[in-house]
Parts: sequence; C-alpha cells; structure tokens
Amino acid sequence: MAEIDNIIHQPARLRIMASLVALEPGEQVDFVYLRKILDLTDGNLGAHLARLENAGYVRIQKTFIARKPRTFINATGKGRDAFDEHTAALKQIIGGSKK
Amino acid sequence: MDISEKEARDSLDQIQAVSIRTRKTITAGYDSAVLMMWGLIGTLGYLGTHFFLRWAWPIWIGLSGIGMITTFVVSWRQFHSGNPVKVPAAEKIVWRIFLFWILLLVYMFIWLSILRPRHGIQLNAFMCTTIMFAYVVMGLWFKCYYMLWLGIAVTLTTLIGFYLIPTGYYCLWMALTAGGALFGTGLYIRLFWK
Repeated sequence: MAEIDNIIHQPARLRIMASLVALEPGEQVDFVYLRKILDLTDGNLGAHLARLENAGYVRIQKTFIARKPRTFINATGKGRDAFDEHTAALKQIIGGSKK
Repeated sequence: MDISEKEARDSLDQIQAVSIRTRKTITAGYDSAVLMMWGLIGTLGYLGTHFFLRWAWPIWIGLSGIGMITTFVVSWRQFHSGNPVKVPAAEKIVWRIFLFWILLLVYMFIWLSILRPRHGIQLNAFMCTTIMFAYVVMGLWFKCYYMLWLGIAVTLTTLIGFYLIPTGYYCLWMALTAGGALFGTGLYIRLFWK
C-alpha cells in the first residue's frame, strides 16, 4: 500500500515536485523560470529546494552560460519514485473513502 | 499521517494544475514566436500569390528561405543560451529536426517529379498537406498535441479549399485559414499559456 510522503506533502514542495516531474526525465529547469511558474519568492523556493535536495529528491546544478551564473534543477529517479508513491497514496485516500 | 479526502483531492488537483502549467509555459517559450512567424509567412505568401500570380515562385522561395533560416537560428540559440529548460542531447535533437525537414523537402520534390501536378492549386494543396503531415508527426514525436491538432485542422481546411472553394478564391481562403491558424495558435499560446 502506497504511503504519504511527509516531505512532499507540504504544499509548496508538492507544487515544486509536480512541476519537476512534469518535465521529461533528464530535462533540467532554470531556477528563475521555476520560480516564475510556481509564483514563489527566491528565498521560499531556495529553502524548499534545499529540503528536497537533502532528501535526494532533486538535483541542483550551478553552471555558467554565456558568462552568467545559472542554476538548473531536476527531479532525481528517487524523487520521481517518491512522488509517484505519494500520488498513489492520495488516490487511495479518495478511492478508499468512496467505498 | 492522517489526510482527509478533501485534502487529498485538493492536492491531486494542484498537482494536475501545476503539471499542465509547467508544460504549457515551456511550450509557450519554445514555439509561439516561430509559429506566429510561419503564420505570417503563409498569409503573405498566399496573398502575394493571389495578387501577384506571376511572382508566386520568387515570393514563396524568398519567404520560405527566410522562415527556415530564422527557425534554425532561433532553435539553435534557444538550446544554447536562453533556454530555460536544458534538454539532454539537445544538439542531436536540433540536428534531427533539421534533417527531418530537409529530407521532407527532398521527398516532396521526388513526389512532385513523379506526380507532376497540372495546376498551381494542386501543387499548393499537395505541399500544404505534406507540411501539415509533418506537424502531425512532430506533435506525436514530442508529445506536443496542439501541433497534432493544428496539423489536422489545416489539412482539413486545405481539403475544403481544394474541393469546395472556387479556384479564384483559393489563395485568399488559404491565407485566412492556413496562415491564420498558425498565427492565431502562436498568438493564443503567447497570450494565454505563459
């Protein structure tokens, strides 16, 4: 039986993971772009990403493109699995209460 | 951890909304400008053909050339610098897309030399439906479903133009429907998906 993931369940982190999992595996999204999609502040997004990175759910890569610093983020395999399980658990709750 | 049914449902709704928004925002960044440009090229090409029939070939070759070069440069630049999403093996994908379109053009010339259309409208309907078939293929290839539906829609309007619209109005019809559909879709994506 699938279980709720306490790290992912927090609303902002749920939206971050939903956005990252919507990308194809291997695709990485720019920090500024992700902030715009999710409508979060720099500090808020950074703090939640750090929490997800500590759990091994996302990978944060800092790089330079055209001499400008850029930060790219993607969901790891572990993060995708955890998100799938969390989603399955949510669906079970809805399905279970219908019976 | 105890979660109510309402909370679970809200979370799933939020996941779906964010997922759709992410894909749409990325698509808007990639495609809208290029799509609007091709819509404009199509409209100008058809209007040029209607009003200056003698200059139809130079008009289409010139506009298509500008369109192809611009599309390639924009795609190349997006993948290398300004692109907000890094795609693995991006260069290979750009080259494959480029090669796909070049091969399609080569095949179009082969088919044209075999079929030898007798009228300009036959030639145009053939080229337009072939390019729209490529849109359908690209839509399926990249899971970009608006391209799939756009390809099907413009193919249908081309067939309507070919079979039902009087010959003298074919180019005006195509300027409105084919060029208009591409430009309109690009504009819609730019305005509502970002």
